[in-house]
Amino acid sequence: MASDRGVASLPAGRVSSGLQRVLRQLPVGGLERRAIEAGEIDAVIDYGSANVIVFPAARRALRDTAKRSAAAERKATLEMPGRNSMLAALPRAEYLRLLPALEQVRLELGDVLHEAGAPIRHVYFPVDCVICLLTKVDSQRAVATGLVGHEGMVGIPLALEVGVSSVRAVVQVAGTALRMPAARFTNEFQRGLQLQRQLYRYAQFTLDQARQIAACIASHRFEQRLACWLLMIGDRAKSPEMLLTQVHLAAVLNVRRVSVTSASGSLRSRGLISYNRGRMSILDRKGLESASCRCYRPFEVADVA
Amino acid sequence: MTRRTPKASRARPTTVVVLRLYIAGGAPNSMQAIANLEAICAEHLKGGHRLEVVDILDNPRRAMADGVLVTPSLAKLSPLPAAQVVGNLSDKKRVLLALGLKPHGK
Repeated sequence: MASDRGVASLPAGRVSSGLQRVLRQLPVGGLERRAIEAGEIDAVIDYGSANVIVFPAARRALRDTAKRSAAAERKATLEMPGRNSMLAALPRAEYLRLLPALEQVRLELGDVLHEAGAPIRHVYFPVDCVICLLTKVDSQRAVATGLVGHEGMVGIPLALEVGVSSVRAVVQVAGTALRMPAARFTNEFQRGLQLQRQLYRYAQFTLDQARQIAACIASHRFEQRLACWLLMIGDRAKSPEMLLTQVHLAAVLNVRRVSVTSASGSLRSRGLISYNRGRMSILDRKGLESASCRCYRPFEVADVA
Repeated sequence: MTRRTPKASRARPTTVVVLRLYIAGGAPNSMQAIANLEAICAEHLKGGHRLEVVDILDNPRRAMADGVLVTPSLAKLSPLPAAQVVGNLSDKKRVLLALGLKPHGK
């Protein structure tokens, strides 16, 4: 126990009165007192107040360890490859304030994040996944009226003080997202001026996007619409290769599957895309833009930041 | 360490030594006590023991119910007689005596 090392007891000036009281109650020459004098004790229990009193050196070490692990976690999230552009555009102080509330989640194809008419429980900041926003047209069918990727956030109604989703949010391309509980988001939204600015601008962007999609559905041939849709997904997905089944595409674009097969076959025969067993890649981006209608517009930094 | 006396190094195989170590989170002496105890158990008990680690920062009432005054603190509960060692367990001889084992070379 090294009690024979003759180490002096803790300096009184650096020890709280509570700790001094507890130390006085320990038996003189007992095991505990000798271990304390040898510097081998981290904490004592104050039976009077039923509290644990941690020694200053141990408290400093615990605080440093906690700081180091929080810093490591923050660094990992900060350096996450291709993080969400909306979060990345925030001032560093505002981003660091949001970080503890963000949870990294893996989203799979077909996962439903929000249901139309149901309360929003989380907002999602996609990192490398793409979320499709579907508007219900009858009890069976729903049509895609928006796409969200790393440029935006799923859960915009909360920023406009509406707690219920008007659309069904379904994962179109699997990947990672950062999510935050709705209540925490509402608090942070009220505190963060820059976050407010960005989300209002993004809300306008999503409204324009929905209008454009509605106009596109009413005016353009399906092959043009499909080219436009693939370009929009390609802009949002980080990987050049995307897992997209024809059944899923037909469902969100509200057409029969045979229409998707025929249109994608045409785009493939012109060397614009490759499509094999649900794996789609854009081969000729310029060519696909020419095949698309004018409704396609790549998003710009000004849309979100 | 150089000479191994079979009688001294071997705990009786049928006896499981039950130990409880009280620590204060990841504080330095607590971490050192865990490392020291694990090394001693690996060398002298060869798995013939059961160790429970109680973090008093998470569970102070448990430690109070057991009459613990300071941490790190090791209690040998079984086989009897019960014994206690406080501190970071760097004094191996004292820990072995508390466990009812004789140090090597004696």
